[in-house]
Amino acid sequence: MTTTLTRPIDGEGSVQVQQDPSIHIEEGALVIAVYGKGGIGKSTTSSNLSAAFSKLGKKVLQIGCDPKHDSTFTLTHKMVPTVIDILEEVDFHSEELRPEDFMFQGFNGVMCVESGGPPAGTGCGGYVTGQTVKLLKEHHLLEETDVVIFDVLGDVVCGGFAAPLQHAHYCLIVTANDFDSIFAMNRIVAAIQAKAKNYKVRLGGVVANRSAELDQIDKFNNRTGLKTMAHFRDVDAIRRSRLKKCTIFEMEPTEEVLAVQNEYLSLAKKMSESVEPLEAEPLKDREIFDLLGFD
Amino acid sequence: MELTLWTYEGPPHVGAMRIATSMEGVHYLLHAPQGDTYADLLFTMIERRGKRPPVTYTTFQARDLGGDTAELVKGHIKEAVDRFKPKALLVGESCTAELIQDQPGSLAKGMGLDLPIITLELPAYSKKENWGAAETFYQLVRGLLKNHPHEKGSQNSKAWKDQSRRPRVNLLGPSLLGFRCRDDVLEIQKLLNIHGIDINVIAPLGASPAELMRIPDADANVCLYPEIAESTCLWLQRQFETPFTKTVPIGVGATHDFLKEISEILGIEPPNQSETSKQSRLTWYSQSVDSNYLTGKRVFIFGDGTHAIAAARIANEELGFEVVGLGTYSREMARPVRSAAEKLGIEALISNDYLEVEKAMANAAPELVLGTQMERHSAKRLGIPCAVISTPMHVQDVPARYSPQMGWEGANVIFDSWVHPLMMGLEEHLIGMFRHDFEFIDGHQSHLGHQGGQPTTKHEPQTKYLNPDEAAKEIVSKNNSPIWTEEGEAELAKIPFFVRGKVRRNTEKYARQAGCRQIDSETLYDAKVHFRN
Repeated sequence: MTTTLTRPIDGEGSVQVQQDPSIHIEEGALVIAVYGKGGIGKSTTSSNLSAAFSKLGKKVLQIGCDPKHDSTFTLTHKMVPTVIDILEEVDFHSEELRPEDFMFQGFNGVMCVESGGPPAGTGCGGYVTGQTVKLLKEHHLLEETDVVIFDVLGDVVCGGFAAPLQHAHYCLIVTANDFDSIFAMNRIVAAIQAKAKNYKVRLGGVVANRSAELDQIDKFNNRTGLKTMAHFRDVDAIRRSRLKKCTIFEMEPTEEVLAVQNEYLSLAKKMSESVEPLEAEPLKDREIFDLLGFD
Repeated sequence: MELTLWTYEGPPHVGAMRIATSMEGVHYLLHAPQGDTYADLLFTMIERRGKRPPVTYTTFQARDLGGDTAELVKGHIKEAVDRFKPKALLVGESCTAELIQDQPGSLAKGMGLDLPIITLELPAYSKKENWGAAETFYQLVRGLLKNHPHEKGSQNSKAWKDQSRRPRVNLLGPSLLGFRCRDDVLEIQKLLNIHGIDINVIAPLGASPAELMRIPDADANVCLYPEIAESTCLWLQRQFETPFTKTVPIGVGATHDFLKEISEILGIEPPNQSETSKQSRLTWYSQSVDSNYLTGKRVFIFGDGTHAIAAARIANEELGFEVVGLGTYSREMARPVRSAAEKLGIEALISNDYLEVEKAMANAAPELVLGTQMERHSAKRLGIPCAVISTPMHVQDVPARYSPQMGWEGANVIFDSWVHPLMMGLEEHLIGMFRHDFEFIDGHQSHLGHQGGQPTTKHEPQTKYLNPDEAAKEIVSKNNSPIWTEEGEAELAKIPFFVRGKVRRNTEKYARQAGCRQIDSETLYDAKVHFRN
């Protein structure tokens, strides 16, 4: 007699190993993962958002999940060593580590961690993120945190992309008002919907970045059910803050800078007070071309 | 993965048991298979406790795995709470149960029980006993106190002055199956009392959940055993801004430094060094003529972090020994042990493989070993005197009499227990020399058993035990040493044992330099001439 095995439910076509249930972030903290196409400004957005949360009096932890490890650069004003570098130093005996070895205080008390990554083409970015969360947990660093922000790498869809989804409550997607980044956003929405079947992660909304207009984004939002939570025009102050290695909150308070600061503060406020999970339906590739591709 | 016969520490759930058993009114629900109940014996046999630990095992069996183990867990929780009526319940899993992923903590929390429930997540495959104990104590204290009101900036460790009362501190860290914790607590209480400091709460040893709730009333915390209490002290510092002491008062110097540290925190007059140095007999005994022959003795130290670091300081600064090896099995303490070793100009050994430690011991050729029960076995095998300074321990390390390690009396106890095996060791060669004297026929057994008092001629009947020189040779010969001929060995055996190790090392060094593959009596005397010049 033969039996047909049913496929495990873990997203369409995915045969990923289930996350170890013991590695979860303590209830209480709001966990946000920031996604978006490569180079769209995820790190800048994450850091400024962390800074904004800290301005609201929250205890914030930002975890950079990009092997490039410059996510928290503007918060700490330096390139900090990654968790993987430090673990290698002690031959992966994490018991030997102290929080100050891998966690660094940044602007306004924001705690910064760079998980780092495996060498290009080898290893798994998801493993690295998992190890980082485990380490933070073992050192009780997640227990008194109000907000955790994962700054996820943009380029690839792999374990490094998926791991933060297992911890996050909400995803924010950073996009510009152009076809390529909206196309990437559509794929991210699909991935999140797949994960949401098994995990608590939900879509939080869209952060429009470096865009004067919002027409394309709006079109996409209307069709899929997404919502724009914040809008940053192509503001030179943001670019200059990055060059100055600081957050927007440390810039000369010109009118332009104050406007941007307020937008970040309002985003932080919305995320902590009134965010609603969005039920968005991703488009098929053909549909998105039809919708935006031929304008 | 390594398989090993003996380990320095048990799995982390044994650490959790230590905390539960140390306290009053706490019960531990342990999701574990039948075999894991062995851990009870650690408390009844080694610690000689009169009661079973307050632990309920779910003792699932193979056939339960086909059914609903979650129901089994809930049934046991209900029974335990009804029967023992604890004031707080710890819920956790042993290594085997971790794999079933029943999440007993969530199950317990969903049962609507009217008592604090602390879920323990102790990763059995990456962490060990002391970590488990520290994590359990931390989770318990935090679980009970995280909603305790505290106004930021209101803590002031000198506030007692305005409240017309004596300052008060908590003693944190003492637990069952810790090394001499029972007596250390009494000694430190006495010591602080003399200096006008009251004790607020002692935990976990003897404390109830209600007493843990009073922890924030103290002006400062005393972290007696960092392995167990440091994470809790750090949290209390973050949460309630309570400062804590970092010096562990073992030895005369450390006890003085401890008093100075706590005095500074509380804003009282620090004690005078010339006064404090007279409080223990260790200081005078080690300075006295009788102890001259202790100076420069080679000592090998291995244990948990706290006791190893303390022993190194006492050996080096207070007894005038030469520390030739220092190490620990606790990874969490690797850093401070490394820096203590660096100050002594040696490299620390961080390992939980007792055979590796034994090898290091043989290579260091010490005259005294200060270690755990594991090192006592190795030292016995190598024929070196040994005193036990740290867990893991044997029932004999839990004496009925008062014998603390901390404070002034602790220093006295340390002096006696380290120096006696060494003195006995020095007299050992006399037993060998006078073995043929008619007065020595019987009744003068060496304290090292058959291994001590080695016969000076090879015509003595061979004992069935491994001769200590053989053992040393066996271990050392792995590093490509020259081979001793039978005649060379016989000549070496004529040399009193307490210099024999040194002669062996020097001769081998000479043989290597000279390119000799074999060592006979001639090589031995050539080496003697060589090193004399």
